[in-house]
Amino acid sequence: MIITRKKNRKELLETLKKFNNFFLIGCSECATLCGTGGQEQLDELKGLLEEQGRTVKGVFVAKTGCQVLGTKVELKKFKEALDETGCVVVMSCGAGTQAAVEIFADKPVYPSNDSLFLGNMTRLQMFDERCSLCGECILDKTGGICPVTACPKGILNGPCGGTKDGHCEVSPEIPCAWVRIWERMEKLGQTEEFKLMTLGAKNWSASIKPRKLNAREEKK
Amino acid sequence: MNFEETLNSGKFVVTAEVGPPKGTDIAALHHDIELLKGKVDALNVTDNQSAVMRICSLAICKIVLDHGAEPILQMTCRDRNRIGLQSDLLGASVLGIRNVLCMTGDHVFAGDHKGAKPVYDLESVQLLAAVQGLNGGKDMAGNDLLGCTNFFQGAVVTPEANPLAPQLAKFEKKIRAGARFFQTQAIYDVDKFKDFMVVARRFPVKVLAGLVILKSAGMANFLNKNVPGIRVPEDLIEELKAAGKEKALETGMDIAARHIRRMKEENICDGVHIMAIGMEDKVPVIMEKAGLI
Repeated sequence: MIITRKKNRKELLETLKKFNNFFLIGCSECATLCGTGGQEQLDELKGLLEEQGRTVKGVFVAKTGCQVLGTKVELKKFKEALDETGCVVVMSCGAGTQAAVEIFADKPVYPSNDSLFLGNMTRLQMFDERCSLCGECILDKTGGICPVTACPKGILNGPCGGTKDGHCEVSPEIPCAWVRIWERMEKLGQTEEFKLMTLGAKNWSASIKPRKLNAREEKK
Repeated sequence: MNFEETLNSGKFVVTAEVGPPKGTDIAALHHDIELLKGKVDALNVTDNQSAVMRICSLAICKIVLDHGAEPILQMTCRDRNRIGLQSDLLGASVLGIRNVLCMTGDHVFAGDHKGAKPVYDLESVQLLAAVQGLNGGKDMAGNDLLGCTNFFQGAVVTPEANPLAPQLAKFEKKIRAGARFFQTQAIYDVDKFKDFMVVARRFPVKVLAGLVILKSAGMANFLNKNVPGIRVPEDLIEELKAAGKEKALETGMDIAARHIRRMKEENICDGVHIMAIGMEDKVPVIMEKAGLI
């Protein structure tokens, strides 16, 4: 899922101070799990805005805020409130915010969160980054652990000289990705594979931005 | 004889290193090069060591050449992508630089520009392969070069890495990628290093043991606590302690000289790489103590 963090509330209210009427949009998926854009957080921001004498015309948790058409349809029932709104605040990720930008061609849309990374939820509201969306998955060659993401240098052929007792030179809190890969491949009986494999330079043209995918075309 | 020929001649080789300064005043550097020239077989020039921004290794390698000494161009993958690295390699080649040491490089996090974007488009194994390609007349994209390079390429290895097995696997990958000589992270336990050399001797590569001069017991403890891949055994720390503050550096130099002597006499490795880190004037003293000059 996309991991988000609330922007500093004081700074957010400062950014929003030029508007009087708001509509808040959350998301029932990632942002709800992150605790940044569920009903509770929408009500919280509504309260803060109202404390300052501003009006919140409506709040709504979209099913999937990054889905442009679905969200547009869901918002139809709020037409009246939206017509009276000077500013839409999106409380999900950067994709959700830009879905709203597409839906509201003539209204300012502001984000209430910072979008951080594609993450795994390890425990309630605890997240790890394990995939960098590089466009060319190599997990089949690295014991299922991604060095592009788990190693701060993203190196592809084994541990660098900065490994200390299985931890990274960047921080003792980061386990060395290549030690983890080695240990996992050892368990799987794949150390020979590890030794013999040399990965060439990565093809970064697979992740030139902005990326686009037409899965309909690909089905044909 | 150049560095490669000296290594192949069977002579016990000594390399040292100079670190380019931050800024354009290179008077001290000229002095160090003159001091070491003729005594050591080649001089490493570090590449923005510890991710601290300094004069580039390439420019200082040229200055080393101008002094009539032989440079080893250290190249890390931290600051340049594959285009920049290959381009600098071609540049080094036309300037007459023959030796290149390929490394991944300390993370920018260790240095003085912590907000910089780390590159790591390549890493050490891939950089070695790129050098091999340029030597064969091709760039990494498979294009023909108008004139190829003739590098003698090396790499680094950490015999004290913990865990050791994946480090050894990478050592083999570096050899397959074309590494012809290795300079190791600092060695303080010669017996343990011998175990590593049993493995290394199976391969057709030359190995120079890294040495960092111990200045005090405090420094030894600091290295053990903070520097990856370095382990100073307790008995050496005790020896430094027993020497007292005044004699600690002298003792550190004695330890280095003793290790060199043993490595040479027992034919453990092909030479040593002395990293003086600001005490370049001590390198000839250690060499003398070790009976090398």
